[in-house]
Amino acid sequence: MPADAGLEELADIVQRRTFLHRMVHWVAAIRASVHTKLLAAFLIVTALFIAMALASLQTIVSAAHQSRLLDEAHELVALAQQGESALARQMHYTDVALLSQDEVAIAKILRENNQFNDRLAKLEAAGTADPALVEQVRTSQDEAMAVVADIANAIRDGKLSAVTGTLLHRQERLDTEITTRVGLLVAAQQDRMARLRSNVAATNRRSLLLTSLFAVVAVVFALFCGFVISWSFILPVREAQGFLDKVAGGDFGARISVPNRDEFGMLAERMNHMSAELQRFDGEQRRAASELGRLNLQLAQASKAKSEFLANMSHELRTPMNAILGFTEMLIDGLYGDIPDDLKEPLTDIQLNGRHLLRLINDVLDLSKIEAGRMQLALGEYSAREIVDIVHVSLRSLAAEKGLEFVVSVPDELPVAYGDNGRLTQCLMNLAGNAIKFTRQGRVEIGVEQVGADLVFRVADTGIGIPPEELDNVFTEFRQVDTTVTREFGGTGLGLSITRKFVEMHGGRIWVESDFGKGCTFYFAIPLRVSIEE
Amino acid sequence: MDAQTILYIEDNEYNRKIVRQLLVRTTYRLVEAVDGETGVAMAQQQLPQLILMDVQLPKMSGLDATRILKADPQTSKIPIIVITSFALSGDREKAAAAGADSYLAKPYSPRELLALVRKFLPEN
Repeated sequence: MPADAGLEELADIVQRRTFLHRMVHWVAAIRASVHTKLLAAFLIVTALFIAMALASLQTIVSAAHQSRLLDEAHELVALAQQGESALARQMHYTDVALLSQDEVAIAKILRENNQFNDRLAKLEAAGTADPALVEQVRTSQDEAMAVVADIANAIRDGKLSAVTGTLLHRQERLDTEITTRVGLLVAAQQDRMARLRSNVAATNRRSLLLTSLFAVVAVVFALFCGFVISWSFILPVREAQGFLDKVAGGDFGARISVPNRDEFGMLAERMNHMSAELQRFDGEQRRAASELGRLNLQLAQASKAKSEFLANMSHELRTPMNAILGFTEMLIDGLYGDIPDDLKEPLTDIQLNGRHLLRLINDVLDLSKIEAGRMQLALGEYSAREIVDIVHVSLRSLAAEKGLEFVVSVPDELPVAYGDNGRLTQCLMNLAGNAIKFTRQGRVEIGVEQVGADLVFRVADTGIGIPPEELDNVFTEFRQVDTTVTREFGGTGLGLSITRKFVEMHGGRIWVESDFGKGCTFYFAIPLRVSIEE
Repeated sequence: MDAQTILYIEDNEYNRKIVRQLLVRTTYRLVEAVDGETGVAMAQQQLPQLILMDVQLPKMSGLDATRILKADPQTSKIPIIVITSFALSGDREKAAAAGADSYLAKPYSPRELLALVRKFLPEN
């Protein structure tokens, strides 16, 4: 990997610092697909290799032709040399004929002469020999043959000795002349062969050079195309990486700019579109968030105003109640002197209704506070038995007035519990008060027991019960089983829903079991140790 | 011996009237103030034996008045019974924190109030 990274770094420097940079941009800006660009590059490189192959083929053909020429030149040189040998032997036999005066030698001269003429004719037919030179050789040869004829005549006439000197002299002159001319002929053929040979070598060199050149150009061009095309892809990809990092970093609306007019260009366009959309969404979100914040602030202010109003109402409502209940009590207590008997009952009625009104006010204020989320539990240690006892003592006289049996059931051993003593007392008081209210005869039992980590409070009565279809509604605000019940038994319908809310604030639950017409049992379960998460 | 003086600081006329009439048949002497500032001034001036302090008062709240009186060495020994209409969780703690000796929630029973007064200041 490090080597690869180093290589890439080097390539990066090269593409940035050289003319290749412009080429990369140029290729990127070509309006063609990536596929087309790659295909074009491969085709160009392939064409270069094909051209190289054609050039090599042509060289091979030309080399074959030249080597055939060379072979022919070889043959011609051989012919010329054979002719030269035949001539030398002819001269030799001529000398022999002159010395031995023998006709046998004459025959040999003629044979060699034929041989020579044959080679000369072939050389002439090849068309490579100088025709003037060939003519001169032939003339000299004719003269030499004339000398031979003279020698043969002189031998036949027996007068050779007389002319030997002359003939010898002629013979020697011709000998030199022919030998020189044939030598020229041979040299010309050898020259030609040497020329051809050097031609072949030159052709071979040129072919090697051409092939190498093609190969180098093809390889360089392939590297060049690969480099430029790959960088025309790498650069937009890098741009895209930077762009995506920016967008991921929250810079919505960032733009990517690439010279590409291929798939990468289209991709960049889409990314810009995406970025613009993100920016738009982001703007909308921010506007919505600030709007929400503003509304939230308004709500908080409204809520604060409501809480203040509630606190004030609490004071304003209770202040006259204090006067009403206070004066009534003082009247009944005889603070203003003895009261006539017929006023005692109406005064007691005023006191009862005043207390009832106070309870209603307290219920409404409690519920409002709970709804506003302003109700807080005052947590502390308490005894469940004490709660049951307080409720029992408070309602004992009420039950007795109605002739109801009112009993308490608490186990001897109960651990110290933790919760809002006052509110739990209020809950049990509500349930027990209802039970006594809705029971015409029979008994009401209140109790508590520990079930696991919970305390389960229980209020059972033998009252009118609750129809099955109403069991789910009894804890809803302002609900009583029906309006006739309200008329007969009174009540706001708030007690049960406040009780439920306090139970839920303690992390507990409340439920009812009823046998319609035979009474019902309310339960609420509270954790023994309440923990309220702030 | 002088009559035992009780200072009642309360802005509502009828509530003052209840206490006034409640104490008619006792030997206590009642002085009244209708706001927090006047109440504090009267307490410092007259040094009553017991103070009944309403919480919601004009000019200065009953809790602030209680704090001032409990911080003043002249008046710090005078028992203060705070009377509040916020019968809500935490009010008892707030009253205790301000230095109140006892706490009574409105609406109170005059009988209970008298019993509490006698507890702190037994009648001569």
